[in-house]
Amino acid sequence: MLRYIIWRIGVMVPTLLVISMLVFTIIQLPPGDFFQSQMAELRAAGETANLQDMEELRHEYGLDKPLPIQYIYWVGGMLHGDFGYSFEYQLPVSEVVGDRLWLTVLVSFTTILLTWLIAFPIGIYSATHQYSWSDYSLTFLGLLGIAIPNFMLALILMYFANVWFGVSVGHLMDQQYLSQPMSWAKARSILSHLWIPVIIVGTAGTAGMIRRLRANLLDEMQKQYVITARAKGLHPLRALIKYPLRMALNFFVADIGSILPSVISGAEITAIVLSLETTGPMLIKALQSQDMYLAGSFLMFLALLNVIGVLISDIALGFLDPRIRLQGRSTR
Amino acid sequence: MVTRRTFLGALASTMLPFPALADGGPQPEPDYLRERLAAGKLPKMADRLPTQPRVVNLSGMARQPGVYGGSLRTIISSEKDIRYMTIYGYARLVGYDEQLRMHPDLLETFEAPDATVFTFKLRAGHKWSDGSPLTADDFRYWWEDVILNKELTPGGGALELRPHGNLPRFEVLDPLTVRYTWDRPNPDFLPSLAAPQPLSIFGPAHYLKQFHKKYQDEATLQSLMKKARAKKWADLHIRKADRYRPTNPDLPVLDPWQNTTAPPAEQFVFVRNPFFHRVDENGRQLPYIDRFVLNISSSQIVAAKTGAGESDLQATGLDFNDYAFLKEAEKNYPVKVRLWTLTRGSRVALLPNLNCTDAGWRALFHNVQVRRAMSLAINRHEINMAVFYGLGHESADAMLPQSPLFKPDYASAWAQHDPEMANRLLDEAGLQKRDSDGIRLLPDGRRAEITVETAGESSVDTDVLELVTDHFRAVGLALFTRTSQRDIFRSRAMGGRILMSIWFGLDNGVATADMNPSELAPTMDDQMQWPLWGMHYLSAGTQGVAPDLPAAKELVDLLLQWRAAANFEDREAIWHRMLAIYTQEVFSIGLVSGTSQPILHTAKLQNVPDKGLYGFDPTSYLGVYLPDTFWLKEDA
Repeated sequence: MLRYIIWRIGVMVPTLLVISMLVFTIIQLPPGDFFQSQMAELRAAGETANLQDMEELRHEYGLDKPLPIQYIYWVGGMLHGDFGYSFEYQLPVSEVVGDRLWLTVLVSFTTILLTWLIAFPIGIYSATHQYSWSDYSLTFLGLLGIAIPNFMLALILMYFANVWFGVSVGHLMDQQYLSQPMSWAKARSILSHLWIPVIIVGTAGTAGMIRRLRANLLDEMQKQYVITARAKGLHPLRALIKYPLRMALNFFVADIGSILPSVISGAEITAIVLSLETTGPMLIKALQSQDMYLAGSFLMFLALLNVIGVLISDIALGFLDPRIRLQGRSTR
Repeated sequence: MVTRRTFLGALASTMLPFPALADGGPQPEPDYLRERLAAGKLPKMADRLPTQPRVVNLSGMARQPGVYGGSLRTIISSEKDIRYMTIYGYARLVGYDEQLRMHPDLLETFEAPDATVFTFKLRAGHKWSDGSPLTADDFRYWWEDVILNKELTPGGGALELRPHGNLPRFEVLDPLTVRYTWDRPNPDFLPSLAAPQPLSIFGPAHYLKQFHKKYQDEATLQSLMKKARAKKWADLHIRKADRYRPTNPDLPVLDPWQNTTAPPAEQFVFVRNPFFHRVDENGRQLPYIDRFVLNISSSQIVAAKTGAGESDLQATGLDFNDYAFLKEAEKNYPVKVRLWTLTRGSRVALLPNLNCTDAGWRALFHNVQVRRAMSLAINRHEINMAVFYGLGHESADAMLPQSPLFKPDYASAWAQHDPEMANRLLDEAGLQKRDSDGIRLLPDGRRAEITVETAGESSVDTDVLELVTDHFRAVGLALFTRTSQRDIFRSRAMGGRILMSIWFGLDNGVATADMNPSELAPTMDDQMQWPLWGMHYLSAGTQGVAPDLPAAKELVDLLLQWRAAANFEDREAIWHRMLAIYTQEVFSIGLVSGTSQPILHTAKLQNVPDKGLYGFDPTSYLGVYLPDTFWLKEDA
C-alpha cells in the first residue's frame, strides 16, 4: 500500500506539469492580453486609454517576452508559493481569493450535505420499489432537476424569494453586511440567503446521485447472496444495508475526487447570476479579462485538488473494498 | 480682446456675489458633522468654505433648496465603477451647466483669449477635503514633479497638453493664479478639463510629496512601497494619486463626497466632504446628502435589484429594455422612474469596416454609393416602432436636435427608406448579377453575404439585426449575425476580420463647436469603421495604415485645423464641414437616435430633473445636473 501511495504521488508531478502547460496554453489562446482587453474596456466606458502606457505596463509585467519564458516565470513562482499578481485587482492572487474562499466552501458543503440528505433515501427507495409509480414520479422529478438549467432556476427562485419572502436579490447576505465583520445578524442574513444557491446547485447533483445510487443498488440486489440472505429470513432492511448498500457506495467514494475541486470553485454560472461572493464569478471574470495569473493559478489549484481528491478516493476504495486491487492488472 | 469664453467666465463669477445672498446670519451645520465640530476637529462652515464659494442658484434652475442628511444607495457592477462618484460629483476646474455652457467651478475665474493663453484664478480659502489649502503650488507640483517627471509620465504628457507637439509654458503668477501658454491655439484644453474623465493638471501636493522620490528619503519611500506592494516608486505615486478612481481613501479630494473604503471590497461608502466649495442660494454648504453607499453586483442583476427597491438612485446598468419592469416597480416601492434622452449620435449604428482584409468587400465599402445604398435599404421607422416603441428618432449618425450644431440635413442624409434607389445604386456599383435566390453576386462571383458582429451585450442589437436582415434581403444582400465578445471585438476589427459591426454611433451627439470633433475622423483604433486608420493617427504614424480615401483624409485635415482654430466661428465652420462629410459619405450607418435612458430614484429624492441628457461625454451622466443639490424630503 505504501509503495502504491508513493508511486501515485510521484506520478502527480508530471501530471500537474502537463496540466500547467495546458492551462497556460489555453489561457494564451484568445487574441490579445490583459492590457489590451483592459484598454478595450476603458474605451468602451468612454475613457481615454493611452497606447504608450499600455506598452509600458506590458513591458513591466513581462508580457512582451516570449511565451515559454512567461510560462517558466509563472511555474517557477508557483513552486515557491508565489501565485503571481492579479492585474485586475492590483493585488497578489492569494489576497484576491481571500475572503471568497470560505464563503464558497460554506455554500458547497451545505449543497453537498443537502444532496446527500435528499439523494440517499430517495435513491434507496427508488431501487427497492423499482417501477412503482412513486419510483417513476421521483425519477421524473430528478430528471427535471437535471434538465432545467441552473441559471434559469436561479432567476426564478431569486424572483419569488424576493416577492414572497422579501429576501434581497442575489448575493449571499443583505447589502449592509457586506464588508462587515462577522456578527449574529450577519450570520442570520447569510443563512436566509444561503438556501437559494444551495437548492439550485443541489437539484442537478441530487438527481444525478439518485440515478447512480439506484442503478448500483439494483445491480447488487439481484445478486445471489442477497436472494439467499432474504430466503433465509434476514430482515429486509438488514439484508439491504449490510451488504448491497455498502457495495453500491463505491461510486460514492470514487466521487470524492471530483467533489474536492468543486467545493472550492463553486457553481460558476449560478454564482454569476446570483452575484454570489464566491470564487466562481471571480474565475470567470479573470478568464474573460485575461487576468492570466489569477485565472491560471486558480485553475492550477483546482487541478491540484482534483489530483489529490482522486488519490484519496482510490486509497479509500482500496481500504473499503478488499476486492479492489492496487496493481490495476487485468484479471481476465 | 474679450472672447466669448472670457466673457462667460467672468460673467458667471460675478453674477451672484455671495455675501449678499446669505440672509440672516450663519447657516445651520449638517448633523453629520456635529460630533467632529463639537470635538473641535473641524472649523466652522464659514472657515471651511472659500471666501467666494460657488453659489448654485437652485430657484433659478426651477429646483428647491433643500435640507441636509440621509444616505443614498446605488449599485455598481465592479470596483472600477467607483469612478461614477467622480463623474457624478463633477467638481472640475471648469464645467458645463445643463445648457452645456462652460462655467468656472473649482476656479473662481478663467481667461482664455484666443485659446492660447489660459489664466486660471483659484478661490481664496478653498481647501482640500483634509483642510489643507488649494493653491498654485498644487498646480506647480503636478506640472514640475509629475508631468515633467520622466518616471511618472514616461509618454511626455497627455495629447491634450501638446496638440501641436510641444507642452505649454507654465507660470505661477501669484499664490492663487496660474497660467498655461501655448504658441498656437489649443481649443481642446478647457473641454478636456470639463470632461467626465478630466485632464489632470493639479493634485494635493502636500499629501503626494511623501510618495515622490524628490521629496521623500529613500528608506521611508522603500517601506511605503513595500506596504503598498509597489515595485517602483512611480507605481506607488500613480496609485495613491488616482483622483478619477478614488481607491485611496486617504487622498485629499475636492469632490462633494469622498471615499472611505479601500479595495478590495463589496461595498464602498462615500461621505460628505466638509470642505466642498459649492453652496446653495441660502448659503447652505452642498452636498445635501451625507453618504453614498455603492454596492457591487454583477451587471446582469443590476436592473433586477433596482426594480426590487434596492437602489435609491440608479442610472448606470439600466437600459431601455428594463423600462417596463422598472415602471412596474413604481407600484410596489416608493420610487420614481424618469426617461432621459441618450446623447449618443445613434443608439444603434452599422459600421462597415473600411479596413477589412477581404479585398472584394473592401473595394465595395470604399465606394460611397454602396454605403449609401445600404443606408437607404433600411426601414428605420420599422426599427423605431418595433424595438424602441416609437420613442426614438429615425436618423443618420449625426448631432441630435439638442445640439447647436444640429441641421436637419445631417440627420436625414441618406436616411430615408428607398429600396428602389438602393437597388439602383448597388446595380451601378457592379453588383447587378444575382443568383437564383435573388442574392447579388460580387464582381468576383461570390454571393453578397455580410456577417455583422455584435458584442452580444444587449438584446437590442440582435433584435435590430433581425429587422435589418429582411431589409437587406429586399435589395439582394444576405446578412448574418455573429455574436462576439467585447474583449476580442477590437483585435478582430484591427485584424480586418470583421466585415461590419453593430455598435453605438457617435458618443457625443449634443456637441457644441467648442468640443473636440475627433470622433468624426479616424482617430481611434476602436472606431469599427476604420480601426487601422484610427490606429495610424493614434500612434502618430508608427502603427496602422494611413487613410487612403480622400474623404477620410479630409476629415483628419479638418480635425487638425480645428485643433489650431483660435475663434469660435472657425471652429463652428469646421464642425459643420466635418458633419457634412461624415453624413454624406455615410461612414457610419446610423439607425435610431435620441432613445431613452431610464433613471430610477427614490420618491423622497428632490431636484432630480424630469428630463435630461444622459451620456458620458459631455454631460458626465448625472454630473452636469449636480447630484450634490439632490436632497431627501422625509414626508414625501
